[in-house]
Amino acid sequence: MRKHDPRWLIVTAANLLLWWLVGLTNHYVADAGVHFYVGGLFVVYSALRLDRKHGLIAIVLTGLLVDAVEPVPYGTSLLLLGLVHATLLYGRQRFPREGAVFGIVVALLANLFLVIALSFLLVGANPRPGSAWLRVFSDLLASQLLLLVITPWFLALQDRAMELAAIHPGTGRRVSL
Amino acid sequence: MLPKRFDQARPFATLGVILLVWLLLPLVLKTFARATFFAIQAPLIVADSYVQDLQTFWSNRLHSKDELLKAGKDLAGLISQYEFSVQQNKALDAEISRLENLLKLPSMPAFRYEPARVARRDFSGWWQRLIIRKGENYGLPVGAPVVFAGGVVGRVVEVHRYTAVVDLITSPTFRVAATVSGDNKPISYQGGLNDAFSSPRGTVEFVPLDISASKAAPRRLVTSGLGGIFPPGLAIGDITLLEPSTDGLFKTGEVALDPRLGSLTEVTVLVPLNPEQL
Repeated sequence: MRKHDPRWLIVTAANLLLWWLVGLTNHYVADAGVHFYVGGLFVVYSALRLDRKHGLIAIVLTGLLVDAVEPVPYGTSLLLLGLVHATLLYGRQRFPREGAVFGIVVALLANLFLVIALSFLLVGANPRPGSAWLRVFSDLLASQLLLLVITPWFLALQDRAMELAAIHPGTGRRVSL
Repeated sequence: MLPKRFDQARPFATLGVILLVWLLLPLVLKTFARATFFAIQAPLIVADSYVQDLQTFWSNRLHSKDELLKAGKDLAGLISQYEFSVQQNKALDAEISRLENLLKLPSMPAFRYEPARVARRDFSGWWQRLIIRKGENYGLPVGAPVVFAGGVVGRVVEVHRYTAVVDLITSPTFRVAATVSGDNKPISYQGGLNDAFSSPRGTVEFVPLDISASKAAPRRLVTSGLGGIFPPGLAIGDITLLEPSTDGLFKTGEVALDPRLGSLTEVTVLVPLNPEQL
């Protein structure tokens, strides 16, 4: 084990980078009436590759970062991401954790849960909830398609960042480059 | 050693402890944490906006002198038109002040105009917000109206050190008192009809039965100036559909909003000169 273990920092920084890139994409496609949400991808690496402690720290920090710029009660993403993370930790011994395909499946399911949970919380304020749900589902479809494309890249990015830091994501041991 | 069953449930137990601590945390600490985490991301949020400004600057530098001379000539024509409008506005302002004094009316709310660049657009089915590149550093207050050439943009809902968040007129959380142009009966406007791949729309409620509108004959909806900070007469959109409400006492309908709201790059914040107006 290292004295200073930066695994949580690497994953949080990667999540922040993804959040920024998706925000930038949403900025440019705003006129088209489409919005991408990729919250499900934040939990995949933390839950499947990192150890419990560092994964949880990364998820808590990511949740607080996301909540700071969204008009939701502060702590909402912390709760939702934490719940998905805990569920994945509960069952992760039974699944193949290394492959990108399983990562994609987890990201899609986690994103589906997060979008539906957030929608139940937020759609009530809309004057026509039926119309709002239609928009939510079209955004969800676009987001899931985006996730299919970017999940392998994002997992590889985090793997590569761990390699550059010469650290094993699961154990925290030094690995040779 | 812990039993295996507990060991499996440990992630949920840990999450439960974290949430309990979070719930018991004083509000002031949560507010501080939110402001801190926003401030961490703020440079990232505005960075691309500054890069785009730089890109525009350098692309403008590539224009030839002939193109610049032609643009300058066109601009000179526009400036002379605007100078005339400014003179007319001054005369009208003086007339309004004279009438206010004569009739002992309370004076209209006065504003300072603060133009601001849009750094980030965030339009989802859940919320519709803008982040602008001015905040406490320019004295923007929470609740200040935001406008553009086409009318109302929204209202400032959060003010940070160098940025502010604007709740858009298309957002389901945005409500304002309005009137049909040329009428003085108050109507309630609410945003929230943001279908995919189409222009934004809003809804109106409590429309008097004698007012009618359709796609072929839309009616202009403007702010009423009642019960809020928005000055009267600012354009909101066009009422394109009105039908009787379920109780039959009023009408409800839809408002077509300016499609330019989706691609705003510059807005103006109306900062009240008297902060008590907020």
